[in-house]
Amino acid sequence: MKKNILSLFWLLYLGAWPLWAAVGCDLNDPDRDVKRLFPESTSYKTIYMSIAQKGGEALLRQVEQRLGDSFQGLFETMDVPYTMYQVFRGPELIGYIHGVNQKGQYGGIQVFLALDLEGNIRGFYFQKLTSRYAKSLRDPGFGRQFVGLNLRDFYNYNIFSGETSGPSRVASIKNPAAEAEQDFRAALRATKKNLILVDEFLLGNKYLKYFIPPE
Amino acid sequence: MSSSEYALDAQNISKIYKRGSEDILAINDISLRVRRGEFVSFVGPSGSGKTTLINILGCLDNATSGKLALGGKTIFTEKKKLSEGELTKVRRQVFGYIFQKFYLLPTLTVLENVILPLTFYRKEGTVKDALDILHSLGLENRIHHRPAELSGGEMQRVAIARALVNKPEILLADEPTGNLDSKRTREIGEVIQRLNREEGLTVLLVTHNPDLARIAHRAIELRDGRIHVDSSS
Amino acid sequence: MKIYQVAYKNLLRKKVRSGLTLLGIALSAWVLVSLLGFNRGYEQALNRDIDNMGFQVLVTAKGCPYEAATLMLKGGTGLRYISESVAKTILEHPEVEAITPMLMQAMFDPNKGESGGITAYLGIDPGTYPRMKSFLKFKQGAWFTDPDGFEAVLGYEAAELEQREVGDSMLIPEKNIELKVVGILSRTGTQDDGTIFVPIKTLQRIFGMDGQLTGVGVKVKRDANISLVEQDLYDLPDVQVVSLAQVKQTIMDLITTAKMMVFSIALIAILIAMLGVINTILMSVFERFQEIGIIKSLGAMPWDVFKLIWVETIILCFLGGALGIAFSLGLSKMTEVLIRRLLPYTPTGSLVAVNPGLALITLAMVLGIGIVSGLYPAWRAARVRPLESIRSEGE
Repeated sequence: MKKNILSLFWLLYLGAWPLWAAVGCDLNDPDRDVKRLFPESTSYKTIYMSIAQKGGEALLRQVEQRLGDSFQGLFETMDVPYTMYQVFRGPELIGYIHGVNQKGQYGGIQVFLALDLEGNIRGFYFQKLTSRYAKSLRDPGFGRQFVGLNLRDFYNYNIFSGETSGPSRVASIKNPAAEAEQDFRAALRATKKNLILVDEFLLGNKYLKYFIPPE
Repeated sequence: MSSSEYALDAQNISKIYKRGSEDILAINDISLRVRRGEFVSFVGPSGSGKTTLINILGCLDNATSGKLALGGKTIFTEKKKLSEGELTKVRRQVFGYIFQKFYLLPTLTVLENVILPLTFYRKEGTVKDALDILHSLGLENRIHHRPAELSGGEMQRVAIARALVNKPEILLADEPTGNLDSKRTREIGEVIQRLNREEGLTVLLVTHNPDLARIAHRAIELRDGRIHVDSSS
Repeated sequence: MKIYQVAYKNLLRKKVRSGLTLLGIALSAWVLVSLLGFNRGYEQALNRDIDNMGFQVLVTAKGCPYEAATLMLKGGTGLRYISESVAKTILEHPEVEAITPMLMQAMFDPNKGESGGITAYLGIDPGTYPRMKSFLKFKQGAWFTDPDGFEAVLGYEAAELEQREVGDSMLIPEKNIELKVVGILSRTGTQDDGTIFVPIKTLQRIFGMDGQLTGVGVKVKRDANISLVEQDLYDLPDVQVVSLAQVKQTIMDLITTAKMMVFSIALIAILIAMLGVINTILMSVFERFQEIGIIKSLGAMPWDVFKLIWVETIILCFLGGALGIAFSLGLSKMTEVLIRRLLPYTPTGSLVAVNPGLALITLAMVLGIGIVSGLYPAWRAARVRPLESIRSEGE
C-alpha cells in the first residue's frame, strides 16, 4: 500500500501542479483585491468580453492601431477573454478594475489598474512579475507614478521608441533599475493596452477623440 | 324439446353470500330455460336477487350450486366449476353485455370503444361490422367523438354496438335505461326490440321499468331469491 | 387496435401524473448513463495518461512514501534519489530495450501566484527521452539537443502561464540562472502540458545533484514478460519498482470508493424511480377497477389485462429512459464538471465518454426496471373479477 501511494504521487508529481488558465487575467482573490483597491466599495460585478466577441477582425485592427503595435505571438490573440470588474458602493458605480497579460523578460507579467469613472488611474500594481528586479518594480513607489494618468497621456507615448510626443505625463514615469528596461517597457505597453481595452469595453470610447492616427 | 334448442338451460341454481359471519341465500334453487330468440325480462323488488341471477346466467359469477348449459353445451355443474379464465372464454363466445352505467373507456373514441373487444378476441367480428352496427344504430356521425361528447342515449347505443361487435348469441342487459330519461328509454327499448326481432338475438333484460318490461315476450318476477311469476308457464 | 395503443392512451389520461413519473425515471436514467460513461471515460483517460508516459516500468528511490508525499506537497523538498549507476545496471538487463534517466527538482518561486508557488523542473536526457515519447508534438520549436545546454522545452500550459515562446528566456528563481526556451509542446491533455523540461545534466549541475536521479523510465523489449523484468528490478538495492499496471491499479482502487458511493446513489435513485412507477401504475389500476372489469366482460383474459398494464409500465419506462439519455447527452459537460469536483484524482482529458452502446445498456436497464416494476400492478389488475367492479344499483 505504501508503495502504491508513492507511485500515485509520482504520477501526480510528474508535472500535474495546479494549472490555471493563463489565457485570461483574473484577480487572484477578487473579494480581497477589490476591497484593497477600493476600500469604500461594497460590492462588485465581473464581466467577461473578448475582441472576437465584440467586433472581430475589424476591432482588432483598430485596437492595434491605437496601441501602435500589433498583437503578438501565440498568446495575445483576439479570442483572449478579458475580465472587467465594475466596483460599486451601494447601488452606485464608483470605478473599474482591469488586468492584462503581457510578455515579460523572464515570464508573464500581469498589470492591474484601478480606474475611476473618468478613466483616470487611481491604482497600479503587478499581480504577477518574474524579474531580477521584481522588488523595486513591485515597490508601491513605482506604482504611484501612474496615479492620475489616463489614456490621453498614453496616446502620446510611443511604445517602440519609449518616447512621448506632445503633452504627456508618461514622461515623468521613471524606471527604478536600468537593467530592468525590458520589463519596464513591457509594463508601459501593458498599461496602454489596458487603458485602450477599458475605453473600448466600458467607457464607450470617450478617449478616442484624443487619438491622432499616424500619417 | 331437446336441450340444444335452448339458448340457456339453468337447473337448481343457488347462490350463498357470506356477509360477516352470516350466510345470505341470495338465489334459492332456481331453474329456468330460455329458447333461442326469446326475449325475457326479469323484474322484482330490490333485493329479490334478479341481478345476482342474471350475473350467474351471464357467467359473470359462479353459482354455489346448480347446473348451467348454454346452447346445449354444459358450462358448469355441481362438480365442475369454472376458473376466471374459462369463464372469460365462455363470456366472449356467447354473451354481449350492457349495463346501467354504460362503462365506455373515456380515452378512446366511439369507434375504438366498439372495436375494443376485437383486440382480445375475434369471433367473427371485423372493423367493418362495427361500422355497420354503428350505422344501424344511427351513430355514423359520432364515430370519432369521445364519450364525454355524447348524450346518455348515444352512449348506451355505443355500449350496445360494442356488445354486438363479436356477434353474441345472448344479449344481457342489466338496467340499461336506469340512467336515461323516458324518451331515451323508449329509444333503447326499440333498439333492443329490433335486434331481437330482426337478428334473432336472445335477450335477457333486468329492469325496474314496467314499460320496458312489457316489450319482452316473457316476464319473470323474482321475490326473495325465487321465481314468483313466470309469464310463459 | 393493438394493446399498446390502448395502454398509451391510458397513460395520456393523467398527463401530470404520468409526466412526473416520467421525469423521475429520466433523472435516474441520466444518473445511470452518466455513471457508465464516466466509468468508461475515466478508464480511457487513465490509459491514455499511462500510455503517454512512454515507458512501462518506472524505477524510483525507496523511501517512506508518506513522508515523501507530504514533503512534496509542502515544498518540494524531501525527495529521495537513486544514483546514475542504477540506470546503467538496468540497461544491462537483457530484457530491457531502453532506459531514460529523469530528475525532478522543485523550487519555490516568490513571484508565482499570490504568495509564491512551486515550480517544478523535469530533467531529461535529450538522447533517450524524446525517442521514448515520440508521439509528443511541438507547437513551436523542437527538443534541445545539447545535454549541457541551458535550454528548456515547455508544455503548452506551462508556456501559456508565463507567456513564453521559442526564443524567450526563463529565470530559475534563487539560482538566478537563465534558460532559453527552444520548444513548446502542443496540448496533450496529460500532465506533460504543465511540465518544464530541462536537460538532466544541466539540472543536476544547477541544483548540485550530480550523478543523482529521481527515477528511471524503463522500456522493455517487445516480447519480454514485464512482470519478470520487474522481479529482477526489485533485486536492485534501495529502489522501488513501479509497474504502470500497478499504478493504474492503485488509482482504480482509490476511486473505487468514490465509484461505490456514486453507484449507491444511483441505486437509490433507481429504487425511488421504481417505487414511483409502481405507485403510479398501481394507483391507476385501482382507479380503473371498474373499467378493468368491463374489459374482462368484453372478453379480455387475465393475461390480456396483465399485458395491458404491463405494457403501460414499459412504455412509461422506455420514454423516461430515452428522455434521461437525451438529458445526459445534452448536459454532458456539466456532468463532467460535477465529477471533477467529487474526485480527488482525475486524469486530464475528457472524463465522460457516453456512446450509443452505453445509452443502449442504460435503456435496457431502465426497461428491465419497468418490466419488474410492472409485474405486481399487472398481476393485481389481472386478478380483478368483473363482478366486483360492475355492480348495478338496485340490487
